[in-house]
Amino acid sequence: MTATETLATAVATAKKRTLIIPEKLRPVVGAAAFFVIMMVIFVIASPRVFLDVGIFSAVFLSLPIYVVLGLGLVFVTVAGESDLSFPSVVPLCGLAYSATFKALDQNFFVALFAAVVVGIACGWLNGFLVTRLGSSSLITTLGMNFALIGLTHVLNRGEIRQFGEYDNSKIRHAIVGSWGPVPSQMFWAAGIAIFLGLIFHRHKYGIHAHIAGDNPEAGRAMGINIERTKTIAFVIVGVCSAIAAVILILLNSTYYATMGEGLLLIVLAGVFVGGTPVGGGRGTIGGLVIGAATVVFMQTGVIAIGLDGYYTSLGFGVVIVLSLLGHRRFSGRLTK
Amino acid sequence: MMIALDTTSPVDLDPFVELTNISKSFGRVYALEGINLKFFPGEIVSLVGDNGAGKSTLTKIISGVERPDSGGRITIDGHETRGWSASKARNLGIETVHQSRALSEQQTIYDNVFMGRERTNALGFVKRKEEIAETEALLRRIGYTSKVWTPTSTVNKLSGGERQGVAIARAILFNSRLVLLDEPTTAMALSEVAEVMDFILDLKMHGKSLVFISHNPWDAHAVADRFVVLDRGRVVFDGPKGTMSSDEFVRLLKDSARGKVQQ
Repeated sequence: MTATETLATAVATAKKRTLIIPEKLRPVVGAAAFFVIMMVIFVIASPRVFLDVGIFSAVFLSLPIYVVLGLGLVFVTVAGESDLSFPSVVPLCGLAYSATFKALDQNFFVALFAAVVVGIACGWLNGFLVTRLGSSSLITTLGMNFALIGLTHVLNRGEIRQFGEYDNSKIRHAIVGSWGPVPSQMFWAAGIAIFLGLIFHRHKYGIHAHIAGDNPEAGRAMGINIERTKTIAFVIVGVCSAIAAVILILLNSTYYATMGEGLLLIVLAGVFVGGTPVGGGRGTIGGLVIGAATVVFMQTGVIAIGLDGYYTSLGFGVVIVLSLLGHRRFSGRLTK
Repeated sequence: MMIALDTTSPVDLDPFVELTNISKSFGRVYALEGINLKFFPGEIVSLVGDNGAGKSTLTKIISGVERPDSGGRITIDGHETRGWSASKARNLGIETVHQSRALSEQQTIYDNVFMGRERTNALGFVKRKEEIAETEALLRRIGYTSKVWTPTSTVNKLSGGERQGVAIARAILFNSRLVLLDEPTTAMALSEVAEVMDFILDLKMHGKSLVFISHNPWDAHAVADRFVVLDRGRVVFDGPKGTMSSDEFVRLLKDSARGKVQQ
């Protein structure tokens, strides 16, 4: 066998192997492959940093925030809508949490409940505006982003709320402490991801969310309440924002109204790098987790390999474009 | 040509579905006006008419996708319905194969077959294995099998005829009593059309009522027990096939299109 024939056989075998990966798993496998390649590059460039457990512990502090927020966005995106308001829902929920926490003598559960209620209300309002009034979700949630951060500033009046006295509490340790070298919030985020993953892939609601984004008219004809399905997706974003807000406050022991700044692009990048196309009807929770990890490691990795922090945005751009091209190539479909 | 309406049942049974004074307007345009129709168990009704006659609007009203204007009444088994919806229609045994096929192309075949009526446990989680097995058996029963795809394949992998097979499978899975087939043979190969026509007769043998909506008068004539002709939103003919030949039927349709048939 000549070298050319050997190569042709190898290529044919590789193609066959590509085909046997189930179509639904391809975005996850693609995102995982991309993540591994990126990490290998980082390890080669800076083995001292990337072969040390410290870098992972540092990344795992913030990764859960992006994963939890991204989970909600995957539901909205797969249902054929967008939500740009969550960076403002986070501080508003955080304000509800901190104000209730201070007012009710450090009652964590009531404060958490207050944050979740505010998250649900924001999500429902987004859903109402989009599904009942027929507004574009992109524009509506962009408007809501401004409106809600404005409302947060008006209510908060520039106050920075400290929770230092709560640092040694059991609840704080349980939520943002550490279990070995791994921050506790990683386990909470993993639990939430598994729960929402089951809803997304195995529950009747998840199936309806996919149909709402793929062919809403077909869903309506088959008796699915598409408007309610989409509204619930926005509510899930609201609940995830509330959880992220509480984790952030516990982590920093501080509430400040600008806590949502900088979340938008990173979370969106995590969703798309994870293999959820913006067109709706398809998405993956596993991919989102890998996508969020890719984006967060990218942020840290650029600094760790000795590049200036200004290179982070450039790195983001390269990662997003390359991963989208990879998904397109790997899944045989355009990631719109 | 004046034709008296024959509103008597071709079979001596009470109607399953009865429409009384059904109208539907979009702004100032009336898509349907004062429709009175009955659908009896075990009969095939061919609903025909020119473009814009109101066939699809009537189908959407019967299947609950659209609601009629106030003043109209939909009666199922002699009981007047309230809050008519697609979900209610399906629960009462009315299934529809829509002209668009109403399939979610990026989802699996079994997700489409069970769309809106998923088999779930008490917590709402889908019984996947059960759905896949039922889909496989159902597709085999109606003759849609393939070595290329399985119930877990996505619909966008299927040909037009196969997609129609999925839509039909969905319509008959849930012990439906009335199946509305809106242009089921559009854009199909001749062999696929023959399969669908055989299948329609097979459904009738199993006691189901069918409403067959078609542009093709020969197809409509071949399977019908009764003809309903619509013209500009009104019923201009409602009568049994009897001894009417296909040529006479085509002439009737031509006359109705020229406005020569009046109720």
